[in-house]
Amino acid sequence: MTVQALEIKRSSAAMWGTKTGLREKPVVSKYIDTTTCIGCKACEAACQEWNDLKTVATHQEGSYQTLPHLDADFWNLIRFNEREVDGGLMWLMRKDQCMHCAEPGCLEACPAPGAIVQYANGIVDVDPSKCIGCGYCSTGCPFDVPKFHKTTGKMAKCTLCVDRVEVGLEPACIKACPTGCLQFGSKEQMVAMGNARVSQLKGAGFQDAMLYDPQGVGGTSVVTVLGHGHPEWYDLPRDPHVPLLVRAWKSILRPLGVLAAFAAVIGVFGHYATYGPKEPPEGDGVGEGRTK
Amino acid sequence: MSSASAQPNRVDRAIVVARDRDNVVVAGEIVRHRRATRIIHWTVALTFLIGLLSGMPIWTPLFGWMAYLVGGMEVARVIHPYAGVAFVIASAFQFFHWLGDMHFASDEKDWWRPSRMARYMRWEDEASEEGGKYNGGQKLFFWAVCLGAVGFLVTGIPMWFPLRFPALLREIAIILHDVTFICFLIGVILHIYLGTAAEPGTFRAMTRGTVTRSWARLHHPGWFRKVTGESRDKRT
Amino acid sequence: MTNGWVDIKNADVILAMGGNPAENHPVGFKWFIEAKKVRGAKLVVVDPRFTRTAAVADFYAPLRPGTDIAFLLGLIRYALNNGRYQEDYVRIHTNGPFIIKNEYSFNDGLFSGWDPNTKQYVKDSWGYQADPKSTAYGVDPTMQNPRCVLQLLKQHVDRYTPEMVERICGTPKDKFLKVAEIVTSTHPANRVGTITYALGWTQHSTAVQIIRTAAMLQLLLGNVGMPGGGVDAFRGHSNIQGATDTAGNTEILPGYLKTPQGQFQTLADYYKNAIPMTLNQQAWPSMNYWVNYPKFMVSLLKSVYGNAATKDNDWGYGWLPKIDANYSWMYIFDDMYRGSSMRVGGKETGPEGFITFGMNPVGLGPNSKKMIAALSKLKWMVVVENAETETATFWKAPKEYGGAASSQIQTEVFMLPAANFAEKDGTFTNSARWLQWKWKALDPPGQAKMDQEILSRLFLAVQNLYRKEGGAVPEAVLNVTWAYANPVNPDLAEVLKEMSGKALGDIKDPKDPTKVLKTAGQQLDGFGQLQDDGSTLCGNWLHSGVYTEAGNNAQRRSTADPTGLGMFHNWAFSWPANRRIMYNRASADANGQPWDPTRVGIRWDGAKWVGDVPDMKPDAPPGTYGAFIMLPEGVGRLFAPALNDGPFPEHYEAVEAPIANPLHPKVTSNPTALIFKSDQDSFGTVDKFPYVCTTYRLTEHFHYWTKHQAGGVLNELMPGFFVEIPEPLARQKGIANGSKVKVSSARGAIEGTAMVTNRMPTLKIDGKDIWHIGFPIHWGYAAEKGHTGPLANFLTPSVGDPNTWTPEYKAFLVNLEKA
Repeated sequence: MTVQALEIKRSSAAMWGTKTGLREKPVVSKYIDTTTCIGCKACEAACQEWNDLKTVATHQEGSYQTLPHLDADFWNLIRFNEREVDGGLMWLMRKDQCMHCAEPGCLEACPAPGAIVQYANGIVDVDPSKCIGCGYCSTGCPFDVPKFHKTTGKMAKCTLCVDRVEVGLEPACIKACPTGCLQFGSKEQMVAMGNARVSQLKGAGFQDAMLYDPQGVGGTSVVTVLGHGHPEWYDLPRDPHVPLLVRAWKSILRPLGVLAAFAAVIGVFGHYATYGPKEPPEGDGVGEGRTK
Repeated sequence: MSSASAQPNRVDRAIVVARDRDNVVVAGEIVRHRRATRIIHWTVALTFLIGLLSGMPIWTPLFGWMAYLVGGMEVARVIHPYAGVAFVIASAFQFFHWLGDMHFASDEKDWWRPSRMARYMRWEDEASEEGGKYNGGQKLFFWAVCLGAVGFLVTGIPMWFPLRFPALLREIAIILHDVTFICFLIGVILHIYLGTAAEPGTFRAMTRGTVTRSWARLHHPGWFRKVTGESRDKRT
Repeated sequence: MTNGWVDIKNADVILAMGGNPAENHPVGFKWFIEAKKVRGAKLVVVDPRFTRTAAVADFYAPLRPGTDIAFLLGLIRYALNNGRYQEDYVRIHTNGPFIIKNEYSFNDGLFSGWDPNTKQYVKDSWGYQADPKSTAYGVDPTMQNPRCVLQLLKQHVDRYTPEMVERICGTPKDKFLKVAEIVTSTHPANRVGTITYALGWTQHSTAVQIIRTAAMLQLLLGNVGMPGGGVDAFRGHSNIQGATDTAGNTEILPGYLKTPQGQFQTLADYYKNAIPMTLNQQAWPSMNYWVNYPKFMVSLLKSVYGNAATKDNDWGYGWLPKIDANYSWMYIFDDMYRGSSMRVGGKETGPEGFITFGMNPVGLGPNSKKMIAALSKLKWMVVVENAETETATFWKAPKEYGGAASSQIQTEVFMLPAANFAEKDGTFTNSARWLQWKWKALDPPGQAKMDQEILSRLFLAVQNLYRKEGGAVPEAVLNVTWAYANPVNPDLAEVLKEMSGKALGDIKDPKDPTKVLKTAGQQLDGFGQLQDDGSTLCGNWLHSGVYTEAGNNAQRRSTADPTGLGMFHNWAFSWPANRRIMYNRASADANGQPWDPTRVGIRWDGAKWVGDVPDMKPDAPPGTYGAFIMLPEGVGRLFAPALNDGPFPEHYEAVEAPIANPLHPKVTSNPTALIFKSDQDSFGTVDKFPYVCTTYRLTEHFHYWTKHQAGGVLNELMPGFFVEIPEPLARQKGIANGSKVKVSSARGAIEGTAMVTNRMPTLKIDGKDIWHIGFPIHWGYAAEKGHTGPLANFLTPSVGDPNTWTPEYKAFLVNLEKA
């Protein structure tokens, strides 16, 4: 269910858009500082517990990382990456989850009306009661976030704890973070905090520190401080966009197709009106016996 | 004298014959499509219809209402791929069933040209004498259906199991599925139009299985002569 | 911790060594981050592994497991040779100026007084030189006397050059020098650094000396007693501090009073041995707070024996059990395995029964196979636990762990289900010595009972047996008071009140005897009010003040912070006396003025000490007493004549080490190390076991406990055992990440998943490439389905530190193969 108390800014597969225009709400955002994340996974545990997600059968495969990627029952994953640059070793940890894009590719791609919504506060949410489990959202997502749940047949992902945020609480992951590398607030505040941290880091020897808030998807409601200006070191796309082909199919091909279909129907009527039916000449069959 | 007259016309003789034979003249009618052909055709048509009703609401919300006809969007999502598979299987039967009749005669080779199609639609095209049972447009449609079925299948599988395929492949698949569908839809609209309103007497070929001699002579003179044994100028 | 968790935010430099706080203390680690973010503090990590802590450090330097002393002595040498120590601080707050006896010497790895027969030191020569002109000890305030502690230290550490550090530890010289530069940058009075450690230091055969070296370094840098300074031990469990405070060890009574030994039959004899003599009264007036020992002891005896304890019967001292030898648990298991006690000449039989309370000896080893063999020799065992641990099911141990067929084991095992921490009230005492009350979150499941009920019912049943049947010295048991409102399940708040102490008669103000401070029955304000005349009762003098007439101070939750340094005096209760920074007198100079005005521990305002609760008599002007009131010298010890393995620390190799000690190959490992030698105790050499191995814990798991969690998130987050292997070693052995490997030591072999990583460094040790590998401890054969794994301690040796008898889990030799 979508949260009724929140205004919906955008909804998937809507015919004309469903902007309510009732209240303007500040866009919220998570703040992730990878330079102070210790990979303790408290956020993972908190996410599992708050969202009452089923335990995923994990296996030790030679990594501290819980799973190779997000799962329909695992919405919050710390990614561990080792990297050696100029003899210096780095063990980079980044909290991966739905980025809550301002221009969400999942919502763009979703064919089920209302199955993916973007609330006025920027949270992008899946409504399982409307989701048809087609997986288009995962095609539309440049971050590989939405995952198909085999039991429910629905897609699932981080809701930014919309049920908590709605009543004025921070998301569960933020609440659980022991080091304060996770914060929550308005997008504006979080970007300011991120910029301040980035300049502090630059002063402390991280010359290419950056704030990851990719504009290709209109910015995200998860801003991430990266100690190194290489998003790909953290398993992040450098310049994510809603895939061009998704845009093409949604914005060009489908309207054209509908148009073509209607044109065909109208054309057929026009043809009939213009040329009429093609019938055998009158009495063409006369003179032939009914039997041989 | 015969038992047939003793049991007057309880069953139309033409229909009885059309159960298992075609290309024969029965009681002034010509059996065009025997029962097997019609079953195959309507199976293809029915599976296509289900695919259509379950696919169009997913395609665009404009046709969202169609989802109600199949039980809702979720049901649509579930049955569409199965309808698709059924459609492809039926199309495969259809392919082998009709393959023999679908070779283009020498004077049909230019049917792919829009000018030729347009000429036909203006009812100005001369029916081919060599063409046999089907004209060039029908053959073209047959091949288009076969190609479309393959296209639906190949692009449909990554869409059916999106998590097993890389994103780019899925994106391309969706585009091609759409393109295939749009072409197919236009083709089907024309097919239905030509098979009903535009060319009266056609539809019964797919229901009763038989057509009138005059219909056959008009639309498929080559086939008509072959079936009836009449010479080209008999009528005149 | 000398300081506290919050106080870490006041540091300019944090050296994290012998611990992985981000992994094992992630919540407290927030103060590291705070220091980094707010103060721009530098976090330096020195560790055999590139840990989660190293991942957020400003600088990381690797070292070989078991070489911490060499590294730290290298830092001390660097500080002394480059003048990067705080000389004024050393002069007034340490024994740096004290003259040491001429008999003291150190040669070829051995200190003077070595007795090769007993393999122990006779410590007589490790003392201060008497001043011929007085009865006191010689002191040279200029610290130039070649026999003064500072000069002897200089001489002692002179061998620990950066080159030698590199040779022993494998730390590249440039990295060592970088660490040295950052760490010693706190030597000016206005810069402060802290050193944090945990089990990475305590679990070595040289453990206490490693920690001492860190303390010495901090004294030299003037960082002890300072806000943002100190030596901060991070405890391995949520309440392990509380356990040791409350006699969790064999050698101590509550409040670190000494366990009586059989040879001391009267209280007076006992005091003679237990109370340190006040030293150097003339050179530096020392308070020697331990002169109050009798007040603590008598109050403790009153809490045990109540009215039966009288002056005439030595307050019941005679009834206290006495020990005749070391009953630390490695000894207990050795006795259990042998069936007799070797320490008393095999005269005594080993234990025939065993009650284990929330402890899993098979899991926590060392040498699990010996543990299992030992338990098999018992007649009975009672396991009080939340889950069926390896110990509870030792009779089902797999064959490869040396488990015999259960039909061959006669031990009768009783399992008593116990409530876990969330299922009972009580206090947790954290690493910062804060007693914090916690409330029960839910009822214990099924028939599980709270610990105090299990203990009470056991005790009352035993007391009843003595009452009915008599027996040897029944009064020792019958006289124990058990005056709780509900004797079979005492309320823990009631127990806390007893521990905090109350008046049994009127307590008068020593300054004004007409004034009555407390009347009989009232809770005491603190240990300052304890008496040795039987008029007070106190279960643990150190915790005195936690439950006063004002109520249960462990429940206080005020975030008021008038000092601005995060001391939060009205949050819970910090022993001793609610003091937040120990030795805080040392944060001020000779005149009582703070070394750093922005970080005031305490300051003398002309009439009294203000700031934190002073670690000093509150109205004693500067110069009255030394800053270290618990030590008989009154000053911090750079030279410590107390430990069993030397007055100065020295680098000794682990008992199982890949090289001979480059400093003195003949005395390669700690000569006083505790080494068990039953037929189950074998040791490996580098030719068969060429790799160093270390063990550790993971943030996702809690000890051997979380693997029992049914359907739990933690088993999901860290699903199984692994072996971390350096990438070049894996390549050489053809080991792929995620494949199975076998690790074997002289004790046994285990198999696990390889985690091939550059986080395990390749080090050049004494000219050779030496690799170390490591694995976490959390698994075992008893677990929730699908979460069993190998027992790490199957491989570890029965070797311990000679002062604490803690096993050497952190450095031993293994071999590594593809499985």
